[in-house]
Amino acid sequence: MAATNELTIERRGHTRPAARRRANFVIFLCPAIVLTVLFFVIPVVIDIAVSFTDLSRSLRITKFTTEQYQRIFQGDRRLPEVIGLTFIYVFGTLAIFNVTFGLVLALTTTSINKIAGGFFRGVWLLPRMSPSVLYILLWLWAINPSEVGLLNQVLMRVLGLNKPLDLMTAAPIALIVISNGFIGASLGMIIFTAAIRGIPEHLFHAAAVDGAGTVAQIRFITLPALRWPISFVTIYQTLSLLVSFEYILLLTKGGPFYDTTVYALYVYRRAFESGQYGYGAALAFFLIAIGVAVALLGWRFFDMERLLQRPRIEVQ
Amino acid sequence: MLHCKSRTVALLAAALAAGSAGMMAAATRTLAQNTVKLELWSRQDPSGPLRPGNVVKAAERLNKELDAEGSGKRVQVVVRESPAPGFDDDALQLLKVFGIGQGPDMFIAAHEWICAFQADGFVLKLDDYIAKYPQHFGTIFPSLWESAKCPDGTYAIPQDAEARMFFYDKKLLRKAGYDDAFIEAMPKRTLSGDLTMDELIDIAKQVMGKTKVQFGILHRPSKGPDYIMVFQSYGNGFVDPKTGRLLLERDKLAAAFGWFERGVKEGVIPANNTAMEFDALRKQFYTGNAVFWMYGIWDLGTYAFPTYGLPSDEATFFADWGWIAAPAPKKGGAPGSLTHPIIYAIAAHAADPELAVRLLGNASAADLNTDHAVTTTHLGIKPEQLEDPRYAKAWPLARATELLKITRFLPNNPQFGDLNSIIFRALQGVETGRLSAKAAADFVIDEATASLKDVVVK
Repeated sequence: MAATNELTIERRGHTRPAARRRANFVIFLCPAIVLTVLFFVIPVVIDIAVSFTDLSRSLRITKFTTEQYQRIFQGDRRLPEVIGLTFIYVFGTLAIFNVTFGLVLALTTTSINKIAGGFFRGVWLLPRMSPSVLYILLWLWAINPSEVGLLNQVLMRVLGLNKPLDLMTAAPIALIVISNGFIGASLGMIIFTAAIRGIPEHLFHAAAVDGAGTVAQIRFITLPALRWPISFVTIYQTLSLLVSFEYILLLTKGGPFYDTTVYALYVYRRAFESGQYGYGAALAFFLIAIGVAVALLGWRFFDMERLLQRPRIEVQ
Repeated sequence: MLHCKSRTVALLAAALAAGSAGMMAAATRTLAQNTVKLELWSRQDPSGPLRPGNVVKAAERLNKELDAEGSGKRVQVVVRESPAPGFDDDALQLLKVFGIGQGPDMFIAAHEWICAFQADGFVLKLDDYIAKYPQHFGTIFPSLWESAKCPDGTYAIPQDAEARMFFYDKKLLRKAGYDDAFIEAMPKRTLSGDLTMDELIDIAKQVMGKTKVQFGILHRPSKGPDYIMVFQSYGNGFVDPKTGRLLLERDKLAAAFGWFERGVKEGVIPANNTAMEFDALRKQFYTGNAVFWMYGIWDLGTYAFPTYGLPSDEATFFADWGWIAAPAPKKGGAPGSLTHPIIYAIAAHAADPELAVRLLGNASAADLNTDHAVTTTHLGIKPEQLEDPRYAKAWPLARATELLKITRFLPNNPQFGDLNSIIFRALQGVETGRLSAKAAADFVIDEATASLKDVVVK
């Protein structure tokens, strides 16, 4: 009974006068509501409105039409290819780097000396802290298709390769996955590190006494405690990868041909490079719809609601 | 009494102060009313700083004319520089600026975009003004006016012209065993239709096989006019002459893409040409690592002489370097070149259209245009420029003028800029092996019919 009361208090807060509750609501929630309305609801409404117009390169609307949606479903032969690529890019980056590699980094840097662990985490944070243009400039130099490029210097001088390798033409999809993954891994790394640090130390000692090795400790103590952070990172990074394209634009410009044009970049190219704003808005509408659907599915699938109620990584 | 006097003095002083302030305000107003501020939109472009520069200079001349006429008006030019990397991006940006009612009074653009501005009613029709000011516009080459026309009239003033070609490195050809007779005959053989596009690939391949040169033929890495020259050589006009609508001919498109496809297959055109940087491409050619470079005459004055130290003396230059027109696709066929005039245009809502016309007329004066031509190796717009000793001394201009006999323009169709984006994308697809030549032609037709209006497909 006492526990129920505690839970009620936790959920509803202590009983306070109605005026105070209203004031708290305004103080704490208003900024978030205003920002959400300004930067999400209004743009979505504008996007939907524009998608039903013929807004083109001189920003003029001459008619309201459903042509843009007809074109998406009937006339755009590039779309299946773009959607397929987006799928590979999002889930490839997520599976290889943002979750798996982030987790590996967190596990390794928390299991070594504290100073060394901190140093390596700092190194892996560098891509995220660098301005995007600088980060991509370094990539462009590293993969330069001539002998000048860092990679080619290594391949030709150290490994004796005859001709320089042109990754941009030979493996553009791998290139965008790796360049984005190096940035994405650090978010997972930090969240997982914090979660691992939250696990009571005595559990590891007890397991060690019981004869559990490192792998068993990770499998039976660490990973179960990380279920919630992994859920969060997966959902958050899926949405982030779906809508972000700036690194791809800077690195490959979506090319060669359409090889690295993911959906969000495709929307950008249609709208801003070709001046087809109406069509771009219609394409963007699906991005919004998919984003909301993925967020809701993730919420449901990973039971995120429970995550937000009480800390789950503490073991009772 | 004293009190009364001081009150009178104070009142008088106040009245004087108020009067003089009023007069000053009126004078300022008059001055302000007489100065017409004209805003010029210009892309920051190292290959033509005098395009806006000449308009600024022209304001001084026009103000003197206005003074001599006793007019109270004066012109002030404000240059609004756009950081767009190319003329296509610049035009798209300017269309948006006009779209939200923030457009300039005058602008500088690539000629093929003029009808896009005309179609949306952003640009002033100039036929009457051109007829009214023959002293400014009367001697401009008639052929250049074609680049300033839309179906219902003239909407721009040609600012310059140029010629595009295939530059070649004679040293490399000699090293590969070609004799001087062959090397020196190449330009004439091209003009007579004897040297073909495929022979160009063969020569490049031979040179690559016999020397250590890494590249055969290089072209621009971005969307632009040069590669369109190859398409035109293969018979693509892109506009139906009867209707003025965009015209796409599948076989001719596939033939042009086929040339690029063969170039890559033979290892002559690098598969990643469109992924390379402009400066890196130039460097490869001017430092002896490429046989041919498809570009324009202004590259000599803008980069080759000052940056890469190529000899600016005519005889020394032609000893080791040369250029040819775009060869014919088959023996006996027609060679081609492409000129891509830049134009001045006046906005439909310009503050004072008459003054803007006179200003751009002054900016088109032979001496000012020659300043631009000789400093950036662009071709002039008036015959009297040919008599200017500075122009005669700038030998690349005289030599490139030979190509004007066979030159073509990009079509002045409002949608050509968009079509060119599609063509460039397909070209990238062909060179990187993502599309065959035939698939590229299909791609261009599919994309164009889906996203552009009134496209005729044959």
